[in-house]
Amino acid sequence: MKTVIHYIRSLFLLELFKGMSVTGRYLFKKKFTLNYPEQKAPVSPRFRGLHAQRRYSNGEERCIACKLCEAVCPANAITIEAEPREDGSRRTTRYDIDLFKCIFCGFCEESCPVDAIVETRLYEYHFEDTDKKTGAYIMTKEKLLAMGDKYEAQLAEDLAAQAKYR
Amino acid sequence: MAEIRNYTLNFGPQHPAAHGVLRLVLEMDGEVIQRADPHVGLLHRGTEKLAEHKPYNHSIPYMDRLDYVSMMCNEHGYVGTIEKLLSVEVPERAQYIRVLFDEITRILNHLMWLGAHALDVGAMTVFLYAFREREDLMDCYEAVSGARLHAAYYRVGGVYRDLPEQMPRYEMSHLGSEKEMKYRNQAREGSLLDFIEDFTERFPGYVDEYETLLTDNRIWKQRLVDIGVVTPERARQLGFTGPMIRGSGIAWDLRKKQPYAAYDKVDFDIPIGSNGDSYDRYLVRIEEMRQSNRIMKQCVDWLKNNPGPVMVGDYKVAPPPREKMKDDMEALIHHFKLFSEGYSIPESEAYFAVEAPKGEFGCYIIADGANKPYRLKIRAPGFAHMAAMDEMTKGHMLADVVAVIGTMDVVFGEIDR
Amino acid sequence: MSEQQTITVEVDGKKLEASPGQMLIEVTDAAGITVPRFCYHKKLSVAANCRMCLVEVENAPKPLPACATPVADGMKAWTCSPLARQAQKGTMEFLLINHPLDCPICDQGGECELQDVAMGFGEGISRFAEAKRVVASHNIGPLIATDMTRCIHCTRCVRFGDEVAGIRELGATGRGEHMKIGVYVERSVSSELSGNVIDLCPVGALTSKPFRYRARAWELTQYDSVAAHDGVGSNIHVHVRNHQVMRTVPKDNEAVNETWISDRDRFSYLGLYTEDRLLKPMLRQDGQLQEVEWQQALLESAELLKTVDAARLGALVSPGSTLEEMHLLQKLLRELGSNNIDHRLRQADFRGDAADPAAPWLGQSFADLENNEAVLLVGSWLRKDQPLLNHRVRKSVLAGGQVMVINPVDYDFNYGLSNKLIGAPADMVAHLAGVAAALGADTAGVDASAGAEHQAIAEALKAAAKGLVLLGSMAQVHPDFSLLRLLANNIAQAANVDLGFVGEGANSTGAKLAGAVPHSGGGLSVAGMLKQGLDACILLNVEPEFDVANPVAMAGLLNGAKVVALTTHLSPWLLEYADLVLPVAATLETSGTFVNLQGDLQSFNGTARPVGEARPAWKVLRVLGNLADLEDFDYESSQDVRDEALQSIGEIKLDNSLADTSAVAASLISTELQRIGGVPPYSVDMLVRRSSALQHTPDGWKASLHVSADTASQLGLMDGGSAVLRQGEGEITLPLVVDGRVPPACVWMPSGVPGSELLGEGFAAVSLEKA
Repeated sequence: MKTVIHYIRSLFLLELFKGMSVTGRYLFKKKFTLNYPEQKAPVSPRFRGLHAQRRYSNGEERCIACKLCEAVCPANAITIEAEPREDGSRRTTRYDIDLFKCIFCGFCEESCPVDAIVETRLYEYHFEDTDKKTGAYIMTKEKLLAMGDKYEAQLAEDLAAQAKYR
Repeated sequence: MAEIRNYTLNFGPQHPAAHGVLRLVLEMDGEVIQRADPHVGLLHRGTEKLAEHKPYNHSIPYMDRLDYVSMMCNEHGYVGTIEKLLSVEVPERAQYIRVLFDEITRILNHLMWLGAHALDVGAMTVFLYAFREREDLMDCYEAVSGARLHAAYYRVGGVYRDLPEQMPRYEMSHLGSEKEMKYRNQAREGSLLDFIEDFTERFPGYVDEYETLLTDNRIWKQRLVDIGVVTPERARQLGFTGPMIRGSGIAWDLRKKQPYAAYDKVDFDIPIGSNGDSYDRYLVRIEEMRQSNRIMKQCVDWLKNNPGPVMVGDYKVAPPPREKMKDDMEALIHHFKLFSEGYSIPESEAYFAVEAPKGEFGCYIIADGANKPYRLKIRAPGFAHMAAMDEMTKGHMLADVVAVIGTMDVVFGEIDR
Repeated sequence: MSEQQTITVEVDGKKLEASPGQMLIEVTDAAGITVPRFCYHKKLSVAANCRMCLVEVENAPKPLPACATPVADGMKAWTCSPLARQAQKGTMEFLLINHPLDCPICDQGGECELQDVAMGFGEGISRFAEAKRVVASHNIGPLIATDMTRCIHCTRCVRFGDEVAGIRELGATGRGEHMKIGVYVERSVSSELSGNVIDLCPVGALTSKPFRYRARAWELTQYDSVAAHDGVGSNIHVHVRNHQVMRTVPKDNEAVNETWISDRDRFSYLGLYTEDRLLKPMLRQDGQLQEVEWQQALLESAELLKTVDAARLGALVSPGSTLEEMHLLQKLLRELGSNNIDHRLRQADFRGDAADPAAPWLGQSFADLENNEAVLLVGSWLRKDQPLLNHRVRKSVLAGGQVMVINPVDYDFNYGLSNKLIGAPADMVAHLAGVAAALGADTAGVDASAGAEHQAIAEALKAAAKGLVLLGSMAQVHPDFSLLRLLANNIAQAANVDLGFVGEGANSTGAKLAGAVPHSGGGLSVAGMLKQGLDACILLNVEPEFDVANPVAMAGLLNGAKVVALTTHLSPWLLEYADLVLPVAATLETSGTFVNLQGDLQSFNGTARPVGEARPAWKVLRVLGNLADLEDFDYESSQDVRDEALQSIGEIKLDNSLADTSAVAASLISTELQRIGGVPPYSVDMLVRRSSALQHTPDGWKASLHVSADTASQLGLMDGGSAVLRQGEGEITLPLVVDGRVPPACVWMPSGVPGSELLGEGFAAVSLEKA
């Protein structure tokens, strides 16, 4: 009996039509896809995107050149040089993140005792040349601080939301 | 008399069915494989050697990049070994979170495998459906760790952060309607656990769909049944683990045989095959997804009712909470030392393995008292499976090589390391 | 030490051997058992005030500090029993109560004993919620940065000042919570060993100022090297980051520098990266020095060497050059047919060349300096010139020994002098002859009358079971050096004590051994070269305006000669006179060997990468040898050069005996007003002169003329007013300082400092008047 049913099933291509019905149903269902870049997928406040350096509300940079991020970076992507600033405070003179080396693990953000280096929600970026001389792939201190200034509101909000988890 | 000779065919490393950078040298008699010689090492990054040069914790993100479709399971194997060396007691909540995400990872991996395998063999649609579900799971990854793939979420002593109380939501754009947004955000109104719970409700239906498309499909069966048969004895001898050995009918699963994390507290079954062919391994993996779903459900229930710490309270190993670090001298010192120098492990050695989606993933660490491993050896399941390539393809046709590669679920990140 | 008695103690169940009187912590340290500590230091007295080293001792009611618990036979102690751990944890918590949350901005972070001990022995979290105390910091000079809020009152620095540096500059005031470590008087710390408190401080309260904020401990790669600025050859660790020297710290070597190094050795690295550091070879074209490629510079140099008349070719080499460099340079010269090579650049008197000892050295090992009962220093400010030798001498004083000096300036020492004879430079000969006469020794033809003081010195030397007559750098630059040396030799023989020399630079003993002197082949000495002039002159690490006894004559020599300078820095005179300048690696950048004053042969490797296109000097000399078609100039490493040099030296036989004891007449005669030359401690070589931090210390050159109060009033000069010093045709105007250390009828105007190049030799008749 089993053999007969099996024979009939395969003769009428039953399993193929069953499969077609699944795909056919989706033909009339709501589209699942997004119209990127107009529409975007949700981004977690924990998202580890492009880096930024933050400032205090009085405009003073937060980074104190403690170099914990440099030490903790598994890929050695961060290069810091520091010396006393004129007012005697400990500051960086150079803070470079090599984006080719960076693996976006977020350890720098974790290690920072003053919440200076953070990772933003930004995931849309590119560099047009890989020339060592122009260094487009290096996030310098200026670029980082500019990023921080631009996204400060979002960053502060995300950090506040995450404070209880950390 | 016509002269008969074997042809040598290079398969990969740029072949789309080679799953990355596999290079196979095939000796062919006509279209029949006489000998298959897999060449590995094209994706070798020296992970083990790199780990010898950085503090223990620094290597966690590198584990993600081994088997890059089952990220958190690799992390689990690594941090588990260190926890074993340090005798760290991981909080129960963290154990459950790990089980939850190990299973999410298993589904992620199997979906990737299913889509790619079907695509290799000729079925396009499953790939699209599988990736739809992967999207949801990767959102879970992102919600806890901030990265969709390379999470770096498991830490020695627990997990980095507790599960978020709010799932990120879609935002309105000028293209979408409010109704559409509402539909999209349906499952995202609550916490991450609510989202996962919703997923576990939906997922069995999706698996049914995949099965409708494939399980009985005649082409699928023609391509898989009796291809790459491995007997239970040979499977054992070849060092198979995971679905590869279970497909041959041996109920070997580390989650049951040597339970770690909270696996002894959850209920699930081990599916096994009977013929040891590619089709059985397909069925085993499909069933594993259903079982994973079952485990996830149990974890979600437990996690919803049992708040608590997710990180061990021993600040000699795990950094203290940020708030404490900012106004507490001891906490600051421990933060500073852990992030600059890390912890040191006394002279000892340990092996710890987890049941990764592909099989037994284990790390063997020799500690010499320093803050970095003296030696790290990674036991990647795919490597042993790859070694059986010759045996599994011998006598098959060239087209079956693709099916065998698919059924092995090879990912070169872990094989080449 | 008479009877070596050992007792047995049991620590953590392990049986350990100890000698009676040892403290428990010494025994555990020797056995490699870790006991946390802050105040205990093996070279300092026991204070037992940090309480960190508490351990459990059998039958003691409470835990006892291991650093202040003498061992007893059969004693049982536990360093990590619950009781001991509890006590250590408690101490740690108390220590951290008042410690500020400075780790991220503190230079000690990463190499901080407090952090390490807190990680190892402390609690993970604090129970202290009240306000922390804050302590104001003082500025104590350009070398040491202070953040006294971080201080945990271990008093290591205070004890160091008391016991090692010999001056109480830092001290504790107040008690309990109000205890502060500070300077008694708000001024710079002036000890020449002051940098060692940076290493001693277990926390970040005292850190290095020039190094401040520049690097973290974990970024630095540590290399071993040998310090190059005095004859001690202190063993150092060089910390390098990005191929640059970031700092130098001492390396323990009990036989050489114990655990200390002098400030000069610690901070001289700052001179490495100055603006006038030479980056590329330069060639004089159209009257201007212009950068050229190495190839061209080397070919031109070799061409010059090949064509010049060998008799008119000479070389001056700094006594701080390595054995390899000296060997190669003298080989180059001698193969070219010239013997005109000298390293005794600051020596003025070469009449005694024939009598020169084979290998002048200290006359004793460094350790023996501690056992002298009487030491006579002749023309030496040992404290600043050789700080670590002075430290050993100080130990002999603390043990009851006597130190006497015959000096042209009343230098301050950090121990009591039992006798001092201070007089104008010309009087030094008379004083020394007086001592000789008092001993009944040959006075070398000097009319000498032994006064009471001479008598006293003579008797002290004679009575000493072990003693030393030491000729310092002031004696070696003295115009009557050969006479002083002869007299000192006679005294040493008559009193049966050792005779010693403290040469200039790190390798003056090595220079003699390597043959960087003219008389083994009858060539010209520095004086001879200056007098006769040369057609071509090679300078190796010499800054001609500061490193030569008579800069005015040197200018004449450079003017008339083609000058090939192998140098690290481009000084103004090189810019003006040199025809070819070849950049060479500085001491920390090259491999080499120094022979120190007790004859230790100490080899070292290069640490940082040479700046710019600079190359190690031995390589440059080797290529010059090749290009000049000389034989046997094929070396693959500096070890090859060293091996050859050592082969030609044979066994190192240190020998201070004079080959010839015939007397010469005193050349320096008393005049109305005499100049006192000599080189200040922080002007000894190119690097030190460029170390800005050292120059800002009290021992840095302050650009002033020092005279006694009597002389000032006789000449109608005021303290602080400016005065013109005239010597020969040169003159210089500088502020006048009335200085009680200077004898009457003398002006103290050192050599080797800016301005001195206008004046000529260091000891001469001068005139001084109001500007």
